Amino acid sequence: MAILNREVKKKSGDLYLSDKPPLTTAGKVGLGFTYFILIVFAFIVLWPIYQIVVNSFNGAQARNIILGGGFSFSLRHFEHLFQETNYLHWVKNTIFIGIATAIITVLIVSFTGYAFSRFRFKGKKFSLLLIMLIQVIPTFAGITAYFTLHQIIVGVVPFFSRQMLLVMIYAGGGIASNTFILKGYMDSISPELDEAAHIDGSTNMQTYRLIIMPLVRPMLAIIALWSFIIPFLDYMLPSILLNRNQDYTLATGLFTLISDQRTMNQPAFAAGGMLTALPIVTFFMLLQNQLVSGLSAGSVKG
Amino acid sequence: MKIPLQLLDDVGRDYPRKNAYLRDLANASEQGDKAALKRLIAEKDEHPYMVRLNAYLKEKDAFMSVLPKILEAEWEKAEAYEDPVLRRLEKDYLRQRELAKFYTPYVDLSYDAEYEARRATLKVNRLPVMIADRKRQIEDLRHAKSEQLRQDPTEQTAAKSRFRNRRNNIRRATAKKNRELKHLMSQGQISRKAVKQGVASNKKEAAVLVQAEKMQIPSVYNRDLIDNLNHQLKQGYRDQAKLLQDELADIARTTPVETTQKRPWKFLAGAPIPGLGQWLNGQPRKALWFFLGALFTFVIAIPYALGYGNYRGQGIAGLISLAEDGKRLDRSIIFMIEGIIAIFLILFAVVIYLFAIRDAYKVETDKLKGIRPKNAFEIKRTSETKGFPYKVSVPALILITFIVLVPIVTAFLLSFTNMDPQHQSKFTWVGFENYRTIFLGEGMIGSVFWRILGWTVIWTLAATTLTIIVGFSTAMMVNNERVKGKRFFRTIFILPWAVPAFITIMFFSIMMAPGGYISEALSSLAGQIVNIKHDPVLTRIALILIQTWCGSAYVFLLTTGVLQAIPADLYEAAKIDGANARQRLTAVTLPLVLFQTGPLLINQYTFNFNNYTIIRIFNDGGPTEPSLYGNLAGTSDLLISYIYKLTMNKENQALGAAIAILISIGLIIVAFVGYRRTAAFKES
Repeated sequence: MAILNREVKKKSGDLYLSDKPPLTTAGKVGLGFTYFILIVFAFIVLWPIYQIVVNSFNGAQARNIILGGGFSFSLRHFEHLFQETNYLHWVKNTIFIGIATAIITVLIVSFTGYAFSRFRFKGKKFSLLLIMLIQVIPTFAGITAYFTLHQIIVGVVPFFSRQMLLVMIYAGGGIASNTFILKGYMDSISPELDEAAHIDGSTNMQTYRLIIMPLVRPMLAIIALWSFIIPFLDYMLPSILLNRNQDYTLATGLFTLISDQRTMNQPAFAAGGMLTALPIVTFFMLLQNQLVSGLSAGSVKG
Repeated sequence: MKIPLQLLDDVGRDYPRKNAYLRDLANASEQGDKAALKRLIAEKDEHPYMVRLNAYLKEKDAFMSVLPKILEAEWEKAEAYEDPVLRRLEKDYLRQRELAKFYTPYVDLSYDAEYEARRATLKVNRLPVMIADRKRQIEDLRHAKSEQLRQDPTEQTAAKSRFRNRRNNIRRATAKKNRELKHLMSQGQISRKAVKQGVASNKKEAAVLVQAEKMQIPSVYNRDLIDNLNHQLKQGYRDQAKLLQDELADIARTTPVETTQKRPWKFLAGAPIPGLGQWLNGQPRKALWFFLGALFTFVIAIPYALGYGNYRGQGIAGLISLAEDGKRLDRSIIFMIEGIIAIFLILFAVVIYLFAIRDAYKVETDKLKGIRPKNAFEIKRTSETKGFPYKVSVPALILITFIVLVPIVTAFLLSFTNMDPQHQSKFTWVGFENYRTIFLGEGMIGSVFWRILGWTVIWTLAATTLTIIVGFSTAMMVNNERVKGKRFFRTIFILPWAVPAFITIMFFSIMMAPGGYISEALSSLAGQIVNIKHDPVLTRIALILIQTWCGSAYVFLLTTGVLQAIPADLYEAAKIDGANARQRLTAVTLPLVLFQTGPLLINQYTFNFNNYTIIRIFNDGGPTEPSLYGNLAGTSDLLISYIYKLTMNKENQALGAAIAILISIGLIIVAFVGYRRTAAFKES
């Protein structure tokens, strides 16, 4: 291989080997300009992220992140985060809400997706349209009702916490779009498979469990992951519904580190933000193709 | 309703009537012979057919009362069986034999008798086979079990060692075959892959042979046999029973039913209680399910709607009174929500009612036509097939109703009330007052609405369009065929999508606060102190830029996916046709990308329209400008954060709800148009 490379290099000195036409001067300037923009943009993208990482380790920063304070490596912001704030509570809450949302969503959606993909029934088209339209109404419209609704539910079920209401809102809000995504995916599976199973005497539940579910498992996994990730990304609903610091999710919890004068600690926020972002970034980077395919399947089919 | 001359079954085959009296009636009404009709009805009991039929019915009653006594003696025999299933089958067989004997002579008299006779005959034919099969299986099982106990230990060890010898022989033979294969490969006669496959198939073959040898050991063989027989006893019986049920259902389908009833009334009589109609139609199993619905109606829905079992409210009445004359602690909002919940419960009950009445009506009118009502087995099957999508959607329905619909309806109703700081606990209906305030721009609250709407529209268009342009052009640049380091750039440009937006927004918020990096840098550039968060214009620009930073990565990702999927021949063809770079972009790339990502890009617009997070986190809607916005909102507030402030801070929930409803209507219209478009796209 090495020899081959050298040969090509040697030849390329005197021979033009590329199958693209040679660049004109204008083209060269254009390409240079493209590189320039790309590098500038890369810098714009990386700079804030770089600052977050650097400042989380910068022992020279006090409660505010300020320019020109110098840098000395230290973990004291992380110490502050773990010892002085409810960070671990927030992590635990967020994970709990994420898991509960994922479980409820997958349980409900796997049935509705199956029903909408494989059955004809009265009101199918109408309910699809209705759910679609209701879905665009911002969750925000119901804020007044959520508090009272929670009060009423607690009257009946005393242990129903506000976090559980949050789970219900996330799951309920996701039913429509996730049903579409799953339905679209199931539609691509040949119905002859279920017909064969039916002829062999399997019931609908058995057909779903033994034939359909193994085939749609990748999409179910994506739906579960997206549902799990919601509370990690959402700031709005927890900020409205949760009212005690130890009940907060990561988004609302970290915000107290920069908004509230009493608890203000910007480097600690940077540290917490980095710790939060790290797993999510890894996850998004590794699964970007699957996540995007799930997204576009849902929207185009809808 | 006219009495039909012919009977129909559920697939539309017709059958002649057996009931001569009804036939005469039908004939008379067919010919319009009113006198004959009257005479027939008056002398119903003297009609020769009716005399015979009544005699048959009397005989049947008599037979039914003596049947237990007849069977008693015979059933003694069945008690001898140890197996309960066998006992039941044998008893059923004896009973059906008697029934067949009784009904067969009456087959020509009435369809009911024919139905019973056919059922009994079928069972008399099928049950002995089932009994014999089961007896044989039980006998085999008993035999196998006793064999297992009678195993001779010495013989057992001998058999085992014999098996081990043979297994070793087989293994040796396999190893030899494998060696031969490898030898062939070393000689270059076959490929490595062929060897691999050959070895795998040899292994499988050997496993089959070993298994066969293993079965030669009596104890192993017996254990396997016992497992097999047990399975047969369970599953085989189940299959046979199902088959029998299928055949019985077929008889029900092909034997019509005759009734002297002229018009349907049972569905009406049963209307007050779901399930009663089904009960009257002779479908107790189905009735049971509908009675559950009745239970829901009478124990939950109606009492709740009347105000019993409410948390605080008065059911539906609470919607009208809104706790007007209530106690000091009663709050209107609770009364309203409980009223809405009550309405939804009543709606569910109404659906159950309509469903029950329709079902009862259908079964009854079918019966008048001659279609026999379905038996329990068939009903179960129908509910498993046709009812399945409804049954599995129930959890979704409940969740959507209470978590999505109830709050939305609450917001809708709230927008017609005067829930404001003066009327927090008790409020009343005020009609379109709030909408008038908004549309006429009355007072500060109304005029601020229009100002905020203006900024919201600018924000949505500017932020989203810039995001799309940046995302698209970076994707175009990175995918330029001459640019190297694609993977490197791609990884970096996707980062903003992967980092949770709230973290970056919070960080930018710090950076742009007084003393933050960006503020300081800008100040030193401008030569004066730049306070971004105190300047409305700068804040708005900053917001748009931050949103571009956060959102463009997503557009980049989508566009890259589409760009990579565009086949190169399209560009080549365009080049050959003489298209320059700009034309290739506008005629090939743009349409393809927009077509594929269109719905997602439109979603971006609605997302930004409601982008509460960035406004709240960056500057909480600020900076304020009391002369224009009063203390109601800040200059960068969007409608969505205005709603938040009205609802949470200013305690003006009614107006907030009205704005929310207006936004929702607008978004629904946009979505509906979009949906129609995509639907049209899909068809074309």
